[in-house]
Amino acid sequence: MNERILVVDDDPALSEMLGIVLRSEGFDPAFCADGATALDAFRAEKPDIVLLDLMLPGKDGIEVCRELRAESGTPVIMLTAKSDTLDVVGGLEAGADDYVAKPFNPKELVARIRARLRPAKPGTDTIRIGDLVLDVAGHEVRRGEERIGLTPLEFELLLALASRPEQVFTREMLLEQVWGYQYKADTRLVNVHVQRLRAKIEEDPDNPRLVMTVRGIGYRAGS
Amino acid sequence: MPPWLDPRAWPERVARLWRSSLQLRTILATVALSAAAALAVGIAIDVSVGDSLFDARRDQLLTLSANATNAGQEVFDSTSGGDTDFDTIILEAAGRILTAAATTSGGTSYAIQLIGQPSGGGPLPPNSSSTGLDIAAVVSPELSEAVADDTQERVHWQSIAITRADGSVVPGLATASPLTIQSSRYALYLVYDISDTQDTLSVVQLALALAGFALVLLIGAITWIVLRLVVGPVQRAAATSRRLAAGELDVRLPVKGDDVIATLARSFNGMAESLRGQITQLAELSTVQQRFVSDVSHELRTPLTTIRLAADVLADRAADFTPETARTVELLHTQVERFEGLLADLLEMSRFDAGAVEMEIEPVNAARLAENAIAQMSALAEQKGSELVLVASGGFVEADLDARRIRRILTNLIGNAIDHGEGRPIEVWVDSDADAVAIAVRDYGVGIKAEDLERVFDRFWRADPSRQRTTGGSGLGLAISLEDAALHGGWLEAWSAPGEGSAFRLTLPRRHGGRLIASPLGLPPETEEDER
Repeated sequence: MNERILVVDDDPALSEMLGIVLRSEGFDPAFCADGATALDAFRAEKPDIVLLDLMLPGKDGIEVCRELRAESGTPVIMLTAKSDTLDVVGGLEAGADDYVAKPFNPKELVARIRARLRPAKPGTDTIRIGDLVLDVAGHEVRRGEERIGLTPLEFELLLALASRPEQVFTREMLLEQVWGYQYKADTRLVNVHVQRLRAKIEEDPDNPRLVMTVRGIGYRAGS
Repeated sequence: MPPWLDPRAWPERVARLWRSSLQLRTILATVALSAAAALAVGIAIDVSVGDSLFDARRDQLLTLSANATNAGQEVFDSTSGGDTDFDTIILEAAGRILTAAATTSGGTSYAIQLIGQPSGGGPLPPNSSSTGLDIAAVVSPELSEAVADDTQERVHWQSIAITRADGSVVPGLATASPLTIQSSRYALYLVYDISDTQDTLSVVQLALALAGFALVLLIGAITWIVLRLVVGPVQRAAATSRRLAAGELDVRLPVKGDDVIATLARSFNGMAESLRGQITQLAELSTVQQRFVSDVSHELRTPLTTIRLAADVLADRAADFTPETARTVELLHTQVERFEGLLADLLEMSRFDAGAVEMEIEPVNAARLAENAIAQMSALAEQKGSELVLVASGGFVEADLDARRIRRILTNLIGNAIDHGEGRPIEVWVDSDADAVAIAVRDYGVGIKAEDLERVFDRFWRADPSRQRTTGGSGLGLAISLEDAALHGGWLEAWSAPGEGSAFRLTLPRRHGGRLIASPLGLPPETEEDER
């Protein structure tokens, strides 16, 4: 079964070219050229992953991302023409899992897509972190009876930290393990997603007890 | 001890106050000048009042002396012939004289002295008689001579100093007038204590001094008030222009009336208005520029992405093409990459120029950054036959850095070193001290000529246009690196010796906003053994 990829971009040439690249890599691309109809296209196509341009007619990419994230944890990779801090951080804070700055090469894009589609590594069935229980196979996090909705990326981030509670993870390690990066390390990815994760799982996000900051090094799981 | 208590600091403080305070200077000058004027007027008044007082007193005393002389003369005349009990006569005469010459205060002394030779027959009074008055000690010879030479029965006078019994010296007046006793000429000396006149003069002098002092104080106060009226607006203008310079473009001076101060305020406000207009215009231009850059970025990058994807897809299938087509695809591919790098560098540079850069400061281990950069560049280095060596002395703690920018500087420096390293090993040195971290990249290639070394950080400058480049540099790499270093408040310096290679040293303050004093690494970096 080929993974379905929704490409939201208003440039027809780029969309077509992306289609050629994605098909040659064995994906099943679908297209949408308008921000205003992106959500409808998402509901209709039920993609496994979304490639989202930030500058769209109709509706801003960041807004689309926020709406999309409100109803689904489907991985979103931003295609940004601007690598300026504000745009990238804005997209990440709106819920995008990763970003690729234009111009990118096809290998880079495909690597990013595969990293996000990668199935979770099989391992122990459940892991505890603090008062949370991670159901690894079911990709679920529970606090008591309450189910906490995490995106796959947030789940993997938490899983990476929780599976080795004694380990302090540098941002680079997390980039490699969760995002699949080698050296190109934009640590803002980690920072923003740790904030998003904390907002969902911590009792008090300003005073985290589950995802702890180790100043100058990175993060580790709290007990 | 607080500094203002230290007497050694006073002259300097006073000098600074003198330089910095127009009011102080003006008030002191005014007070000094008016004090001098008041002093001159006071002295003139004092002299004239003193003279008048003395003249009046002297005239009064001369009249008294004349009366006393006449009274004494009458006593002596009435006793001519007959009785010769001069003691009694003189006592009576003295009583008359002293009664006639009595003054309100002080007291009067008298003396009668024979002048010249006694004449005629008959008994003569003693040649001197007095109330304990030592004439020779009090009266100068001039007065004695004047009365001796007198032929018109006048009263002569002289200012003298009287030593009282208690030792104090008071001003006095001595008069001398001729007496004729038994046809012999005598001089009657009368000495008046005129300290009461001196007392009157002292009161006048005290009043004058007090009035002068009050006047000077009053002038000082008036000067201060006038200065406040005039300098106040100037100070307000100075304070307002300081705020204006600090960026408060909306501050204005109040305009009151139609005088010169109001004109100053109006011109100042006009200047501020014009400044605000121009700054707003510049800010708008800058915003337009930034938006333009951002738009160009987006508009250029989308088609470039398509071209890039197409070139990569073609390059992947190069094996299916004829050699010419394959080479064409390869050229297309490399040049698209180069174009992309150039565009990225240009945009980065324009962001620096627009001041639209943001830093992502976080605690970073510089040695690990260097390791990462080496790992990232190792494939390229291998391709050129250069070995990348990390020389780190260890014991590093984090520095507050923007990791992305520092990594960009390092890959750029290492890339340059690989390009110019002639396949020889390339060293990446890392060291730190309490205030700074330093990373240096040292190659042992051909080096850079001294005149070229000054230009390596210039935009689009290339050491040798004919040299083959592998990193596809835009010519902006070092210029961007320099901006990145400056953004951190750091230094990026170059060293080179032809034939020995080059070294680029990046020194960064350990704490963001810190100031650099020295670099922990030498330039070129050397081990301690080499330095000896």
